[in-house]
Amino acid sequence: MRATLRRAALALAVLAAPAAAQDARPDLSGNWERYPTVAEPDTVDPRFAPTPIPDPPLKPEYKAAWDVQQKKLAARIAEGQPAGDNYVHCIPDGMPAMMMGMFPMEVMQRPDQVNITQEAFNQTRRIYMNQALPKWDEIDPSFFGRSVGHWDGDTLVVETTGIKDYVTFRWAPHSESMLITERISLIDPDHLKDEVTVVDDHFEKPWSWTWTFQRMKDYKLQEYVCEDNREYVDESGGQNLKVDGN
Amino acid sequence: MSIHSWAGALALAGCAVLAQPAAAHHSFAMFDNSRSITLHGKVTKFQWTNPHGYLEIDAEQGKGKIKHFVLEMTSPNMMSRGGWTSRTIKTGDVVTAVVSPLRDGKPGGLLLQVTLPSGKVMLPGVPNAARYKITS
Repeated sequence: MRATLRRAALALAVLAAPAAAQDARPDLSGNWERYPTVAEPDTVDPRFAPTPIPDPPLKPEYKAAWDVQQKKLAARIAEGQPAGDNYVHCIPDGMPAMMMGMFPMEVMQRPDQVNITQEAFNQTRRIYMNQALPKWDEIDPSFFGRSVGHWDGDTLVVETTGIKDYVTFRWAPHSESMLITERISLIDPDHLKDEVTVVDDHFEKPWSWTWTFQRMKDYKLQEYVCEDNREYVDESGGQNLKVDGN
Repeated sequence: MSIHSWAGALALAGCAVLAQPAAAHHSFAMFDNSRSITLHGKVTKFQWTNPHGYLEIDAEQGKGKIKHFVLEMTSPNMMSRGGWTSRTIKTGDVVTAVVSPLRDGKPGGLLLQVTLPSGKVMLPGVPNAARYKITS
């Protein structure tokens, strides 16, 4: 009897130990908006400021094409005719662009999985905790890729690979083997940072920046279905608005 | 810049160091922000959809004539955070709309502000609204 009790106590202790450790993790759950906020774009507390995002550190053979494209883009912008982009086609950002936080985002954290939903385009990424990251060619390329996470102290470390090569951030070309590593942590209870490092064979060195977010209290994420887009890209590549036929 | 063509607005602004993610994710460059037109007339449709809401108006042209205009708004998500609902405007409401017109001259534009039948003025939350001149 006593042995049974002891065994039961031991079993409980074993069960409780990891649970307690998980409970000790910071809870990133909640709704977050990018910082500085849309409402107060000019109010920047340096403690919470994001870093600038440098140009992608492309190798020379890719940089030339990128520069040409940037010049074209600048010219189109100057003409008031920017090149068509994903959104004109109702296509979501994918990773890592979705983490820029165009609209609010919701984090839901479980010990075994963390989901992050960006309100724009209902984009959801799923981060599987304490699993091995498959090799990039073991998964089918997608917009959000495959993400695995683990805790490094109070920091959630997330690795993502398997992003389609045409799902780009800042038009930076990349391979499907691109690896995005994020270190996500609370700066204080109401501010979150996402330190992003992207490594790819198109780059000379890792490409890094930090996005920051502020907690939104009492916000409920809205749905976003890209339902009726009357904007279109015309034959010359310019963006236009349909004014009839709807 | 990002894949978003709000980059245009940002580039024009001299490109803030903290390269803001999109306050708006669409280009509004097809609209002429150097001038505005004011339309008055009956709403035929107030459409609460992504990626943009739309307000359609039969605008009075004088002498009993009307012309149909399609006005683009921002995203319902942004508008709802700015106090709008899907019921802020109803079909049949007579409204006054201030609009950045389409550059190509077609009867459409970007809604900058609208006066409801109650007299209340609503702003659809155009990003960097100060860059759209109201001249009408």
